Amino acid sequence: MARWGMVIDLEKCTGCQACTTACQMENSRLPGEMWQDVLFYNEGEFPSGKLSWLPRPCMHCENPSCMAVCPTGATYKTEDGAVLVDWERCIGCKYCMIACPYGVRFYAEEKQKTQPDIRDVFPPTGDKVWDPPYKMPEHVQNPKQGIGIQPKNVVSKCTFCYHRISKAPKGTPDLDPNDPVLRDFTPACVVTCAPTARFFGDLDNPESNVRKLIAQKRGTRLLDQTGNRPQVYYLAGEAPVIPETRSVRKTQES
Amino acid sequence: MEAIVLERPRPPLLDLERRPDALSVTMMLVGAVGAGLGLAYVFYSLFMHGHAAFNTSSDMAWGSPIAFYLFFLLTSSGLSIIASLDTVFGVRVFYPLAKRCVWMSIIVLVAGFSILALEIGRPFRMLWALPFALQYRSPMWWMGVFYSLDLVLLCIKFWQMHRDEWHSRFTHLLSVVSFVVSVLAPGTLGLVFGMMAMRPAWYSPIMPMYFILTGFTSAVAFIIFFSSIMPRHQKPAADELYYHLMPRLFFVSLLAVIGMRFGQIVTTLWSNYEGLEAHWLSLSSPLFHIEIWIGLVIPMLLMSTNGLRSHRTIGALAAFLFMIGIFFGRLELLINGQKVPLFKGYWAGYVEYWPSLTEWMLVPAGIGIYLFLYGAGNWLLRLSDTEANNR
Repeated sequence: MARWGMVIDLEKCTGCQACTTACQMENSRLPGEMWQDVLFYNEGEFPSGKLSWLPRPCMHCENPSCMAVCPTGATYKTEDGAVLVDWERCIGCKYCMIACPYGVRFYAEEKQKTQPDIRDVFPPTGDKVWDPPYKMPEHVQNPKQGIGIQPKNVVSKCTFCYHRISKAPKGTPDLDPNDPVLRDFTPACVVTCAPTARFFGDLDNPESNVRKLIAQKRGTRLLDQTGNRPQVYYLAGEAPVIPETRSVRKTQES
Repeated sequence: MEAIVLERPRPPLLDLERRPDALSVTMMLVGAVGAGLGLAYVFYSLFMHGHAAFNTSSDMAWGSPIAFYLFFLLTSSGLSIIASLDTVFGVRVFYPLAKRCVWMSIIVLVAGFSILALEIGRPFRMLWALPFALQYRSPMWWMGVFYSLDLVLLCIKFWQMHRDEWHSRFTHLLSVVSFVVSVLAPGTLGLVFGMMAMRPAWYSPIMPMYFILTGFTSAVAFIIFFSSIMPRHQKPAADELYYHLMPRLFFVSLLAVIGMRFGQIVTTLWSNYEGLEAHWLSLSSPLFHIEIWIGLVIPMLLMSTNGLRSHRTIGALAAFLFMIGIFFGRLELLINGQKVPLFKGYWAGYVEYWPSLTEWMLVPAGIGIYLFLYGAGNWLLRLSDTEANNR
């Protein structure tokens, strides 16, 4: 069984947010419900100011704290390494949102940051939060895996596009979007990444490109000290652009 | 010669024939109006806007309803512990208080659960999803187990007292188990916050102890405040308990809370650890000052001498101020843990949050439920009873 993971090369990433947009479209996310986001950091003052950015999907941790705290077992880890939410078990207590060190979980029942409220423009049918004009086919949506448009009052998160990767041919070491056979099984953010900064593959397969990249380019994980052991690795190259903290400009303002 | 044993007639279940006193009627009326208005507004808002009626967000996932819920649940546990001083440890001076305490503990818990039901996304699903999940790694699951058990045990314990079965073997065993659960419940509630290493402003092994202690103190304050609005007790034992012992207990508990809180403040302000800057930010928040000055310092000064302590009105004022302070202190605690966002980049800034009107309306709803049930209990359930031979 594969253990899927992602590698993001920060030397290649341009911070264009195409991954964010692709994720929003693929998974019908609401504005602000950024399963995939690019975070921006600026440090220093002119003339030595520096702007850096960090693409941030769910880390699909090996030892996810969000899963440990879930009182109903709605958050679970699949055999192939994805951390998913069963929307039919989630009670909306939001404890997982408290416990995730990376802030990658979302609760749609909040005041929208953009107006008009898109949920009023495309009002929901049944128990769903909204009914966008473009969405994945009904048969692909799976509330047991947190895929598709969520029902009201549950927590949502990045699924690694599980509706795609779970259909990949067994034994595939890497899901390369440049391979026409594998493209449809590759997560939307990886497919759309113009500078090819994202790689997706089996972390347990010695032949996989992701594993080689991690080994050869010193792949590092975000907040490794939490013990969550993310399955998303960053390649920082020579430039130390991985934020060591979640700081909100503490040093500048205090 | 055979001794003639006269069996006391069992008192009626509800004193329906007794005319309700003015205080009970007032409490029931105020409670019904508060709960009615509060619940009507919250239900209307939730129906119209869903949980978007709250000002919570994905960055501030837990808002004021959780703080209000904390206030009620921890007070309930404190009341249950105080009731156990008699029923478990045999401290006879607490007899006049025990039954009233158990009733207060039950209804405060009911008020807290009502708020939780309105806050949580899918409360009905919780009823089956929680028990069957057996998520033993989740502190919240244990909290659910202990508080549910707490409510059941308190109800049975009250039933036993109501039937004059104060000191049967079963009641004693029940009281011991209930006491253990009423310590474990706020303890696990403390762990829900204290275990979160990713939220440094909450992360602390002391958190369970802090919750148990503040719950106990707010329970003492509840008793002092609500006994002060009752007619003065005629029995010397009750008088000694309510107007001498309880104020002393309140003062000592206050000192313990102040000591613990002082330690927390100094530690968190000293540290550079990221996420703890929330405590620096809280210094400019009115919540912090309400908690510290109105909730802790002024009540401590009011309770600091024997003369002041035994003064009924001053005691009630100090208790009321503490309840206000700890109420806002819980909200401050909630906000501090989430003030510094998790990985949102520099541009996101600190999370801003203030409860919406819908959230504030949970306060009259919760307090209204409590007042109504307290008034009803005071009228119908003979809350001042002690064991039969002591009456």
